[in-house]
Amino acid sequence: MATTSIAKGQVDLIDCIDWSSVECLNEKNGHTFTNALKQGYRDDESLFLESDTDEELLIYLSFTQVVKLHTIVIMGPSDEGPKTVKLFGNRESMGFSNVSDFPPSDVISLSIENLEGKPVPLKYVKFQNVRSLTIFIGDNQESTEATKVSKIALYGSTVETTNMKELKKINPEEQ
Amino acid sequence: MVLEATMICIDNSEWMRNGDYVPNRFQSQADAVHLICGAKTQSNPESTVGVLTMAGKGVRVLVTPTTDLGKIFSCMHGVEVGGSADITAAVQVAQLALKHRQNKNQRQRVIVFAGSPITADKALLEVVGKKLKKNSVSLDIVSFGEEDDGKAEKLGAFLAAVNSNDSSHLLHVPAGSTVLSDALLSSPIFTGDGEGGSGFAASAAAGAAAAAAAAGGASGFEFGVDPNLDPELALALRVSMEEERARQEANAKRAAEAASASDSQNAQTRSAADVSMSEAAGVDSSAGVGQDFMDDENTLLKQALAMSMSDGAGHTGGDATMAETSGEDQDLAFALQISMQEAAASASGGTSEMNKVLHDQHFVSSILSSLPGVDPNDPSVRDVLASLQSENEQKPEEKKDKETDSSQ
Repeated sequence: MATTSIAKGQVDLIDCIDWSSVECLNEKNGHTFTNALKQGYRDDESLFLESDTDEELLIYLSFTQVVKLHTIVIMGPSDEGPKTVKLFGNRESMGFSNVSDFPPSDVISLSIENLEGKPVPLKYVKFQNVRSLTIFIGDNQESTEATKVSKIALYGSTVETTNMKELKKINPEEQ
Repeated sequence: MVLEATMICIDNSEWMRNGDYVPNRFQSQADAVHLICGAKTQSNPESTVGVLTMAGKGVRVLVTPTTDLGKIFSCMHGVEVGGSADITAAVQVAQLALKHRQNKNQRQRVIVFAGSPITADKALLEVVGKKLKKNSVSLDIVSFGEEDDGKAEKLGAFLAAVNSNDSSHLLHVPAGSTVLSDALLSSPIFTGDGEGGSGFAASAAAGAAAAAAAAGGASGFEFGVDPNLDPELALALRVSMEEERARQEANAKRAAEAASASDSQNAQTRSAADVSMSEAAGVDSSAGVGQDFMDDENTLLKQALAMSMSDGAGHTGGDATMAETSGEDQDLAFALQISMQEAAASASGGTSEMNKVLHDQHFVSSILSSLPGVDPNDPSVRDVLASLQSENEQKPEEKKDKETDSSQ
């Protein structure tokens, strides 16, 4: 499927996330960010991240190394799935109160298609040197009280890559 | 332990001058703050505590969250009492201070000391509470001092708005009942969320409870230890208490048995007619003796009687003669009779039966074969057995001893 394919050379950045730093505000008990972010959990649609007191969600995550962010996939139900999503690169200690204080690195508006798995390309130039990422979900498709997110996947590439696996692949016979 | 950043909101309004908590509200509050700061920083070395004042010229942050207890203690000295507390503003400032904590792995917690009446209305409190919840901040409220203006209800609504996953708590401390810090000791605010509290918390609590007990004050706990705080210690204390009680009871029973045994011997030396005499309507001689005895060691005898009664529940034979005796004499006579039966049985057993058993060759050989390392078909053992049979009945027990010795 062409619509769900990720641009060549971009990899899933799940292995670069520093899990101990991940913080999600306004998440509901039992429906935490783990359900949307972690391998295995995020592919199960019955497990989702849900907002608690209102529809907003704020997810902060940092990477173990500097990355370039290219594409994001956000999946959720068609009614309670997120709609407006603001992304902030390298902003520490953000709260709901200062979401509008800074210009976001990118704002995306998710369609139903996107919620079913269609990747959203980001302003690649704005995410060339990302150490941490703040994802703010402002509202959902039908403006209900709770927002549900079943999957968040980030695609991009790592900077200063020294992938030892690739070095080993050089075949001595070919030299 | 939970890694936490805590902001403590101190009430330093004019209401704190009241002396209904010893020595006054403000001082007892300061003690409680010291206690909580100690517990929080001890439970996890990376946990931080900050302090702000709610009254005076607006909300003032005295210390931003720090691990340095000295900073916290010293800042408490300079606090002036005055003005009125603004709880909603204070909580929001506290939340802001927590938001900019350096270690993002710390959970956020606000502890509010509310000693003055709550001026803010319920709806506003709920809005602030929701905001705290949204930012995953836990809230502990210590309510003391003034109680009017629906304070309990307002604080309850405030807490309900914040509470998620039972991580927030509300503690009411009425005036005059306990010291504020003592009331905190047994609360989840101090002990943490169901983790039994830190070692510091437990030892501090135990120390305080012991001090309270020593001072003659009712600590409110059995053995002076809060069972919630240290369930193992409480259990150990209870078990040891029960063991001691059982031991004492056993001692009492033994003493009672000895007493009844000597009593029965006395009865034996008298005529056997004693038992039948109990049929007589009047007070017979043995019962009279028993009566005197009962006067002396009433309790012991009662236990002895109870024991003999339960032992002799199956001995219905005695009941026929005993039924006619009247009052407490009946029980005593029954007990005497049973103990006499027992004594007779134990006396008539013993040696004669042992002789019989040893002369039953089948029985002896079966015992020998069951012994480890003994072969009943061994010629030496056979010889011994044969000699045993042919010999007269003198000292069979010693023979057997020798035999077993040689075979080993």
